[in-house]
Parts: sequence; structure tokens; C-alpha cells
Amino acid sequence: MTDGFQMVGIRPVPPSESGRSAPWYRGKPVAAAVVLAVIVLGCLCSEILMTKDPTYLDLTNCNVAPNREFLFGTDAMGRDLFSMIWYGGRVSLLIGILATAISTALAIVFGAASGMAPVWLDTLLMRGTEILLSIPGLLLVLLLQAVLGPANVWSLSLVIGLTSWTAMAKVVRTEVRQLRGSDYVVAARCMGGGFFYLLRKHLTPNFFSSILFMVVMNIRSAMVAESTLSFLGMGLPLEVVSWGSMLSLAEKALMTRAWWVIVIPGAFLIATLLSITSLGNCLRKQANRKARNL
Amino acid sequence: MAEEILLDVRHLTQVFPLGRHGSVKAVDDLSFQIRRGEIFGLVGESGSGKSTVARCVMSLYRPTAGEILFKGVNLCDRAACRAHRTMLQRERQLIFQDSTSSLNQRLKVWDIIAEPMRIHGIRPPRGTYRAEAEFQMHYVGLDAGYLDKYPSELSGGQRQRVAIARALSMEPELLVADEPIASLDVSIQAQIVNLFRHLQREHGFSILFIAHDLAMVEFLCDRVGVLYHGRMVESAPTSALFQRPLHPYTQALLSAIPIPDPRLERSRTLQTFSPDLVSLDGVLVEEEPDHFVLREGGRP
Repeated sequence: MTDGFQMVGIRPVPPSESGRSAPWYRGKPVAAAVVLAVIVLGCLCSEILMTKDPTYLDLTNCNVAPNREFLFGTDAMGRDLFSMIWYGGRVSLLIGILATAISTALAIVFGAASGMAPVWLDTLLMRGTEILLSIPGLLLVLLLQAVLGPANVWSLSLVIGLTSWTAMAKVVRTEVRQLRGSDYVVAARCMGGGFFYLLRKHLTPNFFSSILFMVVMNIRSAMVAESTLSFLGMGLPLEVVSWGSMLSLAEKALMTRAWWVIVIPGAFLIATLLSITSLGNCLRKQANRKARNL
Repeated sequence: MAEEILLDVRHLTQVFPLGRHGSVKAVDDLSFQIRRGEIFGLVGESGSGKSTVARCVMSLYRPTAGEILFKGVNLCDRAACRAHRTMLQRERQLIFQDSTSSLNQRLKVWDIIAEPMRIHGIRPPRGTYRAEAEFQMHYVGLDAGYLDKYPSELSGGQRQRVAIARALSMEPELLVADEPIASLDVSIQAQIVNLFRHLQREHGFSILFIAHDLAMVEFLCDRVGVLYHGRMVESAPTSALFQRPLHPYTQALLSAIPIPDPRLERSRTLQTFSPDLVSLDGVLVEEEPDHFVLREGGRP
């Protein structure tokens, strides 16, 4: 198609020199990212950091205040808190990520199915979701946990994941309802693309940025759920070390004035949650900015 | 003209419900045929049901009444559709008006062109999907340098070429082009129309070409149907229609084509068309060979 077609009158525009560009860290949650990285790395490399065996009950050293040997002190059963923090953080983070993976996968498939379905099925699925949404989350978790029997890391992740997908599914459904009318989805359907093909190729890449914030926040709420349940004594048993099960010792610690048993795991949990929230907020701002520029 | 009929639309009617009461009759008792290797133009003002016809032909809407036969398969029959699903998905391809929204912004050009082959699991005849996409792009006049670009980095005309390449990668028998040039500017329109003509001569497929630009239709199409309020008011071979329009609506429509000569343009009069004079209750009458006009009560 070389038909000698040529543009005339293109005015060259010199690239604008707006001086020095803003530093790369402007508007980015650097502190949160560093804190989170330190905590996650510390938990992953807990074998190197640990000074004691986190499960060893050193009964000669119960309720020792932080000192040189026990950096964060010991709890009522003589376990070293410093080692427990890193070791238990693994479990907490694992539950957070596993539960989020389960709930995100459920939300995407369920929300997209509802969004692509005809009106009557969509209404049915969404009313079902709303009924689930109206039951208090903790109640649902307790119910499911009772059905599944004694809690372990996997069953707890599954239970938290199964109960936290509803809000995200509603967002996915709204996005898919908008996307499904766009011509490229219609074209792919004409070519014979099935539901999972459309979901993988066309839908998920286009709506994922709008649920990214919720995904990150889901990690946070899953960790909170784990701590809450363990604190209430319905989550992980005491011998499985996690931040939540460490906090469940708090009521006894209050009696013995052992502040370190509460404050230190609590501080780690709060620092992690704050960092995740801050990252999530940043992602949400970015998604909004992109949407505005389109 | 004893050629094989590829698409046969018979008494197609499409009614859209509007809320609880009332409905809109978008297409009303429409019949036309497209022969193999023919470019059939469908013209009409906006809202006359052109796009609805395209979407019915692509099975995106389920017609309220009537039937559409594509290569003898009735598209309104679910069982027949299911039995010939792969054939129908391959041999009918759709091109949209807005190339911006018909291409996924997050896929690269070669991914978009290879998409239909991927869906159907066709082993690319030229080795890889990428090579296949490159071949198709060459066919529609795009450089291989665009393979790794995103649609947002291309111009409107280039995007439309990508959409055409995607449709052609299946080597379809019927191309449904729903106002493919309406969102392009005039010089690019000419390029795309030329491309359609070139490709049609090369491949020999049929095109249902929907447009409201009469000059382009006259240039490209073999036969033209004029749509008015969902009804076919006139259908004829292009030259017959443009030289001797018989229906008052067609006459008014044709008189609105600007003539690129200011003296002629000033001297001519624009015919007006009053909808009250024409009843839409008539039937199509063959006034000349292959030239059908809507006449009231079947009388000329």
C-alpha cells in the first residue's frame, strides 16, 4: 500500500525542558515499603535471626523482661519472644496471603460469572451475595470453623478466604458489566471465545487495577481475622506460634504486668498492617489517576 | 445472475422492549440476499436499523421473527447453530465502527491479530502466531514494526487495519462491516475503502457493508439496499440505484450527496422528503430486473 501518501505541514515541537524531574520517591510510600520488606524478609529468614528455639519452653525463665539474652523477653511459658515474632510472622503472613488468594479467585470468577450472566441469573447471584454479606463475618467464620473441626493454618486460611470475597465480587461484577458491552469483548465472543478465555484475556487485565486496592486490603483483614480468632481462642492453638496466638496470651500477661508480651507482638502486627494499608492507598490513588487520564 | 446465495435474510423483524410498556421495532420485515463474492451496501439514516441487522447476522441478537440463512444454516435455530458453531464462528467476521474500543488496549497488535487463531486452536500455517500476524499485517498494508505496539500507539486508520487483519486471519466467507469508515477522517476513509476493495478482489469473500456515506457506497458496493425506519424501501444494483432512484426517500437521500464542483453544487436543488407521503405498509415490487422498490399495496 505504498500510494505516495504524505503529510504536509507538520510543525516540529521541541521537547519541553521543564528542569529537573521530581525525585523518584515523591508520593510513594517508601517508609511503608521498607518496613514491610524488613518484616517480610525477617520472617522468611527466621532461621538466621532466631536466637532460641521458638517452641522451647524454658521453664526457668518465665516472664523475663527484655534483656540481653532474651531481646524481647519471654512469655509465661518461658518461650523467647524475639524468636517467636519472626517464626510466628510466617504463619500470620501465610494465612493473610493464602486467604487473599482464595477470596480473590472466588471473587473474580463469581463476580465475572454474575456480570456476564443474563439479568435474572445476575440478580439471583447478587442477592445471594448480599445475603452472605449481611451475615457478620466473624459469625460465619466461627460457623465454618466449627464444621471443619480443629483449626490449623490451612483450614483457617480456607475459612477466612471463603468468608471475605463478597465485597470484591460485587466490584468485579460492576466492572464486568461495563466491560462486556465493549466491542473487543463482543468481537471475541463472535470468534467463539469461551467464558474463561474472556476472563483471562480480556476481562481480568482490564478490571484488575480497580480491585488491586481491595486485594491488598484483604491481606490486611485476613491477618486481623486470624489475630482476632486466635485472641478469642477460636483460631490457632497455643502451640502453633503466630502473632495472633501470641496476643492470645495477653489476658494472662496483664495480670503479671508483663507488658512486653502484649506490646511487642502488637507493635509488629500494627506496623505490618499500617504498611499494607499505606501501600494499598498508594495503589488506589494510582488506579484512579490512570482512570482519569483515559 | 445465477450465483450461489451466501446469506439469505427473510422477513427479519427485531423488536426491542422499552421498559415495562412499549417497544421499538428496529427492523421490520426485512429481506435481502447476499451472493458469494458480492459487496452489499446497506444505507440509511441513523436509527434506521442498520447496525441491528449487522448484529442479527452475527447472532448477537436473537431476531423476533423471520429467519437468516447463512450457507443454508438457519441462524435463528439454536440446534442448527450449535451443530455448525465452529463454521459460523470462522466464516462470519465482524468489523466495528470504533476501532478504539474494538481492540483490547492491553494486548499487543500481534496478539490481537492472532486471537481468532488462538481461540480456534489453529496451528499457524507460517510457523508461529507472530509470523502469521506479520503476514496478515503485510496484507492490510501495515509494517511489521507495529507488531509489538499497543493499539493506543496507533492512529485510527492503522487500528482499523488491525481490526481488518484480525477478521481476515480466519479467511471468512462473509465480512460484516458495521460502519467501518464512519469514525475515520476523509483521506483515511478512502484508504480503507480501497483496502476493502483490494482484499475482496484478492480473497473473493462477501461483504455486508453498512454505511451512511453514499459516495463510498457507490464506489465500493455491487448492490445497495436503502433502509428507512427498519424497512427496505429500495434495493438495486449500485449503478441502477444511483442513476434511477425510484423511491422518493432514495431520491431525497441521493440529492443530499455533495458534488465537488461549487457551480453545480449551487445550482442544484435539495429534494425534501416528507414522511407523511410515504406509507411503509407496502411490499417490495421488482420494477426492473433486480431493482426492487417498496410500493403501497403492491401496485407500482
